[in-house]
Amino acid sequence: MQILKSQKGWPTILLARAGAYDADSAGAGLVAAEGGGAWIAWRRAMTSMTPEDLIGSVTDSGLRGRGGSGFPTGQKWRACRAATSAVHYAVANGFEADPGAQVDRTLMESDPHGVLEGLALAAFAIDATNAYIVVNVGYGTAIRRLRSAIDAAEAAGYLGGDVLGTGRELWVEVRELSGSFAVGEETILLRAIENKRAQPDQRPPWPSERGLWGQPTLVNNVETLAAVPWIVANGAAAYAKIGDADDPGTTLVQLSGAVAKPGIAEVPTGTPLRVLLDAVAGGVAGGKLKAIQVGGPSGGFLPPEALDTPLSHAALTAAGAIMGSGTILAVDGSSCIVDLATLMTRFLNDEACGKTIPCRIGTRRLAELGDGFCTGRSRPSDPDLIRALASDIRDAALCGLEATAINPLLSGMRYFPQEFEDHILRSTCPAGVCHPLRVAAAAAIQ
Amino acid sequence: MRADRMPGLGIVKGMVLTIRRAFDPKITVQYPEVRNAISPKHRGRLLLLYDEFGTLKCETCFQCAAACPIECIDMGGVDTKNRFHVHWGPAEQYAERREESALRRSGRPVPDRSFDPFEPIDLAPLDAILAEEGYSPRNTLRILERTQEAYGHLPVASLQHISHQTGAWYSELYGIATSYPQLRFEAPTGHTVAVCRCLTCTLLGGGRVLQAFEEHLGTKVGGVSPDGAVRLVQTDCHGESRETPRVVVDGEILPHFKLDDAAVISSALRAHVAQGRPA
Repeated sequence: MQILKSQKGWPTILLARAGAYDADSAGAGLVAAEGGGAWIAWRRAMTSMTPEDLIGSVTDSGLRGRGGSGFPTGQKWRACRAATSAVHYAVANGFEADPGAQVDRTLMESDPHGVLEGLALAAFAIDATNAYIVVNVGYGTAIRRLRSAIDAAEAAGYLGGDVLGTGRELWVEVRELSGSFAVGEETILLRAIENKRAQPDQRPPWPSERGLWGQPTLVNNVETLAAVPWIVANGAAAYAKIGDADDPGTTLVQLSGAVAKPGIAEVPTGTPLRVLLDAVAGGVAGGKLKAIQVGGPSGGFLPPEALDTPLSHAALTAAGAIMGSGTILAVDGSSCIVDLATLMTRFLNDEACGKTIPCRIGTRRLAELGDGFCTGRSRPSDPDLIRALASDIRDAALCGLEATAINPLLSGMRYFPQEFEDHILRSTCPAGVCHPLRVAAAAAIQ
Repeated sequence: MRADRMPGLGIVKGMVLTIRRAFDPKITVQYPEVRNAISPKHRGRLLLLYDEFGTLKCETCFQCAAACPIECIDMGGVDTKNRFHVHWGPAEQYAERREESALRRSGRPVPDRSFDPFEPIDLAPLDAILAEEGYSPRNTLRILERTQEAYGHLPVASLQHISHQTGAWYSELYGIATSYPQLRFEAPTGHTVAVCRCLTCTLLGGGRVLQAFEEHLGTKVGGVSPDGAVRLVQTDCHGESRETPRVVVDGEILPHFKLDDAAVISSALRAHVAQGRPA
């Protein structure tokens, strides 16, 4: 998928070195990357910063986790550093479980050194000597480039047994994992690295207190980590000035669906969705925009009226969607929201790991109720049932995937009640996708 | 008359014992008002009870497995399709209990698949893999993936051998093998159909394509068609689909897929395998 051109005046932080160097060749790639500014922050951290300085700087920058939860990164690092243990681990999550996204892949393929440097800084902040980058086994190019970047960095002394002559040790390992959608969740990811069942653990204790092999572990998305070198090099205040006040910085989004120019773009947070669709992705292609789906399979559907929602965790969560994997999908008039929401719920149910009953059975009941809408086996009380069930699922959730699995149906019912009513009461599908006619047929026979 | 034949002596002896016991200290503990001191390490004794027909009374409710603080309890049995010998899964899978109960009520013998012999396999390749991976439970995923590469799937005998050699619980191995979609227990099929379920593909009609394949292949996603010919899985398009949802047949992406093609492809693949099979 192509990288879309940034708008005038927008800073590029994550993709600044995209295409600037040949990530496949170890030695030459490193030299070119250094020319582009890679490893400067690492050098500075090694020579003139203490871990506390680094954590303070990340906290001041206001950087939030880009993996979907939006947790303040500095706070996480501080908690992990504060956890008393002889061994700490740092893990970069590049698994990218969403089958429709390749945001993290684009980042890892275009700038492996940026991701590595961010991970190295995170490991330095928590005094970890071992760090892992977890990559989906399907991302062959990203794995190859990360490995050659690690080789080059070790040869140049940035990583390895004696980092830049400080006597500090840091070993980075690429872990290829294959697995289901759920493996992208942080506790499941740690279990998968440990070669255990892909099921989440209860939190607290958070992974920052007890994670990989029972040791304090810092899990950050690769996109979060890739922003850290820039913060160190340019200062926390400069980063905090970009984008949304509460959730500053830039983020990668993937624009797809019914848009003229689908692709991946780096945008400042707080940019209204309208700007992303119209200016970055070239507008909606053919037909009228019916809805926008934000955040991947467990994201939510937003109506065209909500296009002024800024791209930030707080605003999107309030609107019923999530940042999630950073995918923004334009849905045109030929699609039925009821059908889409049901199919997404069914996908999430199929991917449920089976540990908690609200998720395993609750989401199945949600999908069955949605199927009822689409096939004409629904009752007028079903929406209330869905709301009650959804609130139970959210309250009982063990992991983030479970808590957000209710989003497709809930946001659909919230913004497109007319469409649901047509399916339930009038047995018609405005988009002509579903066949909710069985009720009418059965009534005629009786 | 000998003393042991004297009538009434047995009663007297019994009464003596009864009266003596009446003055003994009481051994009943008035739980929960009174509690015996128990070591904090005490976990009780794991015991499965049998009913009068000699069948396990365990309902496979998983409560003990869920409560077990050291995860040493796991559930064993046979799954609903009588394929796998241990399970730890959704509570809906009680079929073997239902069948057993029906058999018992009708007075027929109750078969227990748990005691069936496993199909033997040649263990030499597996031993080589285990030696290379250091017999370490920390490499379980790697061992299982390589075993699947060597045998085409994970035979029960291989899991048992891994369990013996590494010391990992068999049920733990089974749990790991079932929780990763790339590991499978069914013998490999001749063909694989993969459908992407991402949002972009769903928007392009992927839901109906998958439904059509499920109908024509007679299996849910992740399963194998009843004749063992075709495996239906999901794939990732990473949002790259443009006009049609991503459908991959035997590793080849179909560029212009139409919904009607699902029936044609399904029957062609199944017929192909049926012909190739010795009668």
